[in-house]
Amino acid sequence: MRIKSILTEAKQIDRAVTLINLGARLQVLESETDLSYERLLRLYKEVAGRSPSKGQLPFSTDWFMTWQPNIHASLFLNIHEYLNKVAVMDEIDTVIKAYQLYTEQTTAQGLEALLSVTRAWRLVKFVDNGMLTMTKCSKCGGHFVSHPHEIAKHYVCGLCNPPARAGKGKAAGGIQMH
Amino acid sequence: MNADQILTEIREANLSYLMLAQSLIRSDREQALYRLGISEESAAMITLLTPAQMMKIAAGNTLLCRFRMDDDLVWGLLTNHGKGAANDTTTRLHASILMAGRHQEAA
Repeated sequence: MRIKSILTEAKQIDRAVTLINLGARLQVLESETDLSYERLLRLYKEVAGRSPSKGQLPFSTDWFMTWQPNIHASLFLNIHEYLNKVAVMDEIDTVIKAYQLYTEQTTAQGLEALLSVTRAWRLVKFVDNGMLTMTKCSKCGGHFVSHPHEIAKHYVCGLCNPPARAGKGKAAGGIQMH
Repeated sequence: MNADQILTEIREANLSYLMLAQSLIRSDREQALYRLGISEESAAMITLLTPAQMMKIAAGNTLLCRFRMDDDLVWGLLTNHGKGAANDTTTRLHASILMAGRHQEAA
């Protein structure tokens, strides 16, 4: 039994290191591993070379509803659902692998990865407990992050029907509409 | 291209595809399922292929991999046809979201 627990711990440390490298906040590590706070803190400093950011996690679902974040979140969540459907693995591993694929895709398209791994993790939790869901766009048929109980018949996604000011920003790495 | 050339080209493409698929599956199985758009069962079969088996499967007059998008919508977004307003990156992002949402074909 002892050997087994060491193996489990090794796996958890490995997972924590991956998450730290992806930029996860300490709260994510605390929730997803059984490692003690002290050990996680030490691990964080060792891997990231600095102390973890302090303060509360972003807790609002509103962020996911604004135009650009919604598109990023939808891309991530679609990949996440895809992995969920085709492969069996621990929930947190699905988040890690989907997040890696998401950043890969945004980088390949010259976009800044607007969704942090902490937010991606929160998003999955929000969906799990029904605070957010995915609704099918009535125009393109893609699935987008939305509030629950969205009227599917009338729902049009932010890419089919961008708001007036959307995508006009000059910021590099942002989604442009012109 | 004459018939011989066609067969050679197809074999080459099939072989590269199988080799790439195998190394993708070996480096990260779950991510490979997404990248390749194949089912767990197909992935299991591909990993077990020996080089000799690969050569055998690759030889033939048909390609082993096929298109992931066979509808006008995604195709239009990818090639940027029929939509003037959005720019290239945005339409590709849109296509990515639509394609990532299609797991029925894989599973």
